[in-house]
Amino acid sequence: MTLLDILLRPGALTSMFQPIVRLRGAAAVPYAYECLTRGPAGTNLERPEVLFEYVRRKGAENVVDRACISAALRSAPLSSARARLSFNVHASTIGYDRELPHFLLKELELARIDPRGIILEIVEHSAAAGQTPPLRARIAELRRHGIAIALDDIGLGQSNYRMMLEVEPDYFKVDRHFVAGSHADPRRCAVIASLAQLARDLGGAVIGEGIEDDRDLAPLTRCGVELFQGFLFGRPFPMTDAATVRPLAEERS
Amino acid sequence: MKGRLMIVDDEEPIIFSVHDYFTEHGWEVDCAREIEEAEALAGVNEYDVVITDLHLTGIHGSEGLELVSYLRARGGAKVIVFTAYSTPEVERVALERGAHAFLQKNTPISHIAQMITFLTRSDE
Repeated sequence: MTLLDILLRPGALTSMFQPIVRLRGAAAVPYAYECLTRGPAGTNLERPEVLFEYVRRKGAENVVDRACISAALRSAPLSSARARLSFNVHASTIGYDRELPHFLLKELELARIDPRGIILEIVEHSAAAGQTPPLRARIAELRRHGIAIALDDIGLGQSNYRMMLEVEPDYFKVDRHFVAGSHADPRRCAVIASLAQLARDLGGAVIGEGIEDDRDLAPLTRCGVELFQGFLFGRPFPMTDAATVRPLAEERS
Repeated sequence: MKGRLMIVDDEEPIIFSVHDYFTEHGWEVDCAREIEEAEALAGVNEYDVVITDLHLTGIHGSEGLELVSYLRARGGAKVIVFTAYSTPEVERVALERGAHAFLQKNTPISHIAQMITFLTRSDE
């Protein structure tokens, strides 16, 4: 039995959720929760960076993406979470898995979650430049059901701009590489401003990632960014009960 | 801590014996049973030494040597091939791919440790 077989067994994956917030004065209100997956406890794959590198090398992004979504939707009474849910999906999965929309809608139906509350965050998209037609068709189908699309790692990778044009994301996630330390780095501020303007011009909203220092909020807010994610607002946690979707005003006080 | 070591082998007795020996002698040891697992670990961790078999479940022949090439391309780690299936040709290719040593599976662990001491001291 391979590690892949082990991690695809029911219950092998652990789902954690990290808030994406919108600021309302001094309070941070949950806008969405990003689902983050941990591999089987006690294995090398418990660390997400090892897990997804292993999955990539196995060429198993498709089957593992589905397993991660299923695990997340079955781990908690998310239907009462009252915030959007964001799931990471490899660009290759969207491009190659013709049944992904049907699978996702079925899982949401079983979990009694409205598709209009779902964000699909496309990851590892630098290698997907050649899959544009299938990607477009699949994304169009997902959007017909109200599912929103986010593009991860904005500013990194080779095919970012092409993907932005092809995917037309609803959300642009500005990578932590640009956000962390931006309060003291005019160059990072310039990049953030450029990406924020680009997102506005393309009709999307920006999510600033990796915020651990509240001084790094100012460069983002100056550029009109309204959505934020990072340890400052909450670390990933297991959503074992809908009550754990706690008001983020508590975490910031 | 002497350093970080990875053992790549699909035989549990080998994994356990190498892990236990080098842990007791002050190493931080990671274990991988598949090539993809080893590559994933090497992608996120810096290893001082990697001890690897060439024949793992599901792979054979030159596929095991791909790991040696990958590890050498990543830099840093001393790569020791530890295999029961050796021929002069396999040994030659492994060393060409960048392995620092080529040992038979019946080599006592204490001898492997001596080889590691030699290989890592050559950097000092």
